[in-house]
Amino acid sequence: MSLLHVVFKVGAAEYVMPADEVLQMETFTGATPVPGSNPYVAGIVQVRGKVLPAIDARARFGLPAVDRTLDTRLLVAKTGDRTVALIVDQAREVVKLSAESFKPPPPMLQAEARGLVKAVAQIGPRMVLLLDFNKVVNEGESRGQ
Amino acid sequence: MSGSKVDLSEFLPPYLAEVEELLVLARKSLLAAEAAAKGGGHNALAVRELFRAVHTIKGLSSMIDLEPIVAISHEMESCLRAADKAGGHLEANAVEPLLAGLRSIDERVNALATSRKVSPAPQGLLDTLRDLDKPRARPGQKSGAVTYALDPEIDAKVTASERTQLLTAMAAGRRAIRLEFSPSPAKANDGLTINSIRDRLRAIGELVKVAPVHAPKTEASPAGLLFLILFITDAPDEVVSKACGCAVIGELGRAVVPAPPRPDALPELPPDAMADDEQSTSEEGRSSAVVRVPSERLDDALERVSAMFVGRSKLHRAAASLTAKGVDTRELNQLLAEHSRHLRDLRSSFLRLRMVPVSQVLQGLPLVMRGLKRTTGKNVELQLETGRAEVDKAVGDRLIPAIVHLARNAVDHAIETPEQRKRLGKPEEGTVRVTGHDRSSTQLELTVSDDGRGIDAVAVAARAGVPVPQTTAALLELLCRPGLSTRTAADTTSGRGMGMDIVKRIVDQLGGELTLTTEPDRGTSFVLRLPLSITIVDALVFEVAGHRYAVPLSSVEELVEVDAAKVVTGPAPRAGGLATGLMERRGFAMPIVGLNAAMGLAQQALGSKALVIRQGDEPVAFAVDRMMGQQEIVVRPLDDLLVKVAGISGAADLGDGRPTLVLDLLALGAAVLQRTQQERRS
Repeated sequence: MSLLHVVFKVGAAEYVMPADEVLQMETFTGATPVPGSNPYVAGIVQVRGKVLPAIDARARFGLPAVDRTLDTRLLVAKTGDRTVALIVDQAREVVKLSAESFKPPPPMLQAEARGLVKAVAQIGPRMVLLLDFNKVVNEGESRGQ
Repeated sequence: MSGSKVDLSEFLPPYLAEVEELLVLARKSLLAAEAAAKGGGHNALAVRELFRAVHTIKGLSSMIDLEPIVAISHEMESCLRAADKAGGHLEANAVEPLLAGLRSIDERVNALATSRKVSPAPQGLLDTLRDLDKPRARPGQKSGAVTYALDPEIDAKVTASERTQLLTAMAAGRRAIRLEFSPSPAKANDGLTINSIRDRLRAIGELVKVAPVHAPKTEASPAGLLFLILFITDAPDEVVSKACGCAVIGELGRAVVPAPPRPDALPELPPDAMADDEQSTSEEGRSSAVVRVPSERLDDALERVSAMFVGRSKLHRAAASLTAKGVDTRELNQLLAEHSRHLRDLRSSFLRLRMVPVSQVLQGLPLVMRGLKRTTGKNVELQLETGRAEVDKAVGDRLIPAIVHLARNAVDHAIETPEQRKRLGKPEEGTVRVTGHDRSSTQLELTVSDDGRGIDAVAVAARAGVPVPQTTAALLELLCRPGLSTRTAADTTSGRGMGMDIVKRIVDQLGGELTLTTEPDRGTSFVLRLPLSITIVDALVFEVAGHRYAVPLSSVEELVEVDAAKVVTGPAPRAGGLATGLMERRGFAMPIVGLNAAMGLAQQALGSKALVIRQGDEPVAFAVDRMMGQQEIVVRPLDDLLVKVAGISGAADLGDGRPTLVLDLLALGAAVLQRTQQERRS
């Protein structure tokens, strides 16, 4: 059984998320910063009338910040009853991936990625990482205040 | 009466509320009566309701001297009284003028509500209404129809019943005139005394008033006295002069009512006029136990409840610190938990008070549709299905223009002409359906759909000069682009003014969602998902370090100018600490802190303005860079843990489609005090 997955890019790596977890893909036009929130929270964005927190994927993954480009996208996804936007560098593709094509990530990568990557898959010559959106959103959100 | 200016401010709010309600009832009854008349029957109950509503409007308006409204409602009442007496038989040709009358009243009520000048009753309308039914003037009938002009001095002598007598007669098209008779021995010899004149005048008309007034002694009036006579007659001036041996000084009525510029061009009903505080449907009867409360009072109460929530968190903190000191606080905590529960219940009760039935929000729609049918010549049936759904009045009020616009678009653009529909094998009568139901305990779903031609994505794209949108979401986005109109020529109803971008903006500002489905030749539906309730506050908007923020106006005690040179800063705080300055305010030192710094952002030079709040007993000033103004905002809570931060109470769309943070300065102030105290201690 294969499922549709959205492919997106953060830094040099390509990630995937099941398409049914992704509510919308939007062009990114800026976020309103929320002082006092976690440093990787870019702020809040208004998407189709809803106000959502936006996580900067680069900051969340520990990558250096870059200027936003026309390719920058907001990936709006659901985890539990929360809807959160993720700012990614690029998102253009939807691919079909079967459950069997996913393999557990090598232990090194798992440690490095702090559990944010659930699995890896191969699309032809490209390696893609299955993102654990729940972990991206839920871990480390308290800031010790 | 024309000279003295009565202070109406006290009576106005209840008057407006009542009249607005009556207008809604009247419109509804009139449409019901019209529907019955079209079917060849009559709806006696509706006519009776309409008659009563108009009668009450007249009565209320005469209490506060609103002559134009009294005049219009009087004519309408006369016509309706006849219809009521005829067992509810309302002539079909009476509907338009009566609707025009209601519109005219509505327009004047709106003018009054917005402190604009109330224009005089349009003479054309009064004449049309009068022609519907010419009631016989009944002296003493409590009414008033037109204004009349009299010197204030003389007017002061006219009693209320005489005034009604005059106005009634004038309304019935008779002449009310003013005469002056100076008695003199010479005239007496000719048999002209005030008593003989009385008799003669009575023979040709109705004598309303005879009053002696002082006059300078002249040859013409050697007694230094003359009699002022107010007289109603159908006879021409010459006949009257001959009868009394004195000249007609002037006519009181008609001429003094200035003709409106275009008596026929009645302005269309402004969409917001459809909003109404309370309902009173004829099904439920007017006696249902309804308490009318100005919504500000509810808001005020709600605000107080919110203040209790602030108190509650203080209590919890105090209890926690007791617990930390080893005090047994189990019972206290239990009580606090109970208290919290009560508070939550109390708040939801208050929120419920503001809910109004969706059917009531949309009750003006049939009238709008009726007008559209007339102007477009299209045959459209409006189906309204709202069940028992309720929505916060604030949401409802803001929503109306969007729904009206969508319904207009449907009739105007979507529904084909009867001929076209026939060719397509569709029923000649098009259908516009507006349905509403609560989707969950927090969301209302409204749908405006039609069975018209559907939206032609290719044509829309061509007009906008962009590639054809591939999804309905993309099509909707394109439709909502500011300035996009799918019609070349602006037409009377929806080609000008508000476009889909405004619909979108309304929905966005309410925190709702707009979606679209459309199918060629089958029709289009717009679905609006909206929060059932919202928090609306008056807010001050300002800028700090290039970012805009808003704060509820109620939390700000004062706005002050900051002279940076006069702000005293104490010993430099440690790195990362908070630089609190002191500035003089009415002889006392007030702490001042840059808002940016208070929010934990980089400290900057203090801005030139500051918002003063009261933290407990102490004022605290937050310096900001620039004030941007004041506006009403819909505050949306920021519930997600990622962005839940003390001092930020929510976000609002100021109209630019981006969220702006709404700050809770009290919470920020508390945080500031806490931090400064910690710094002092360490």
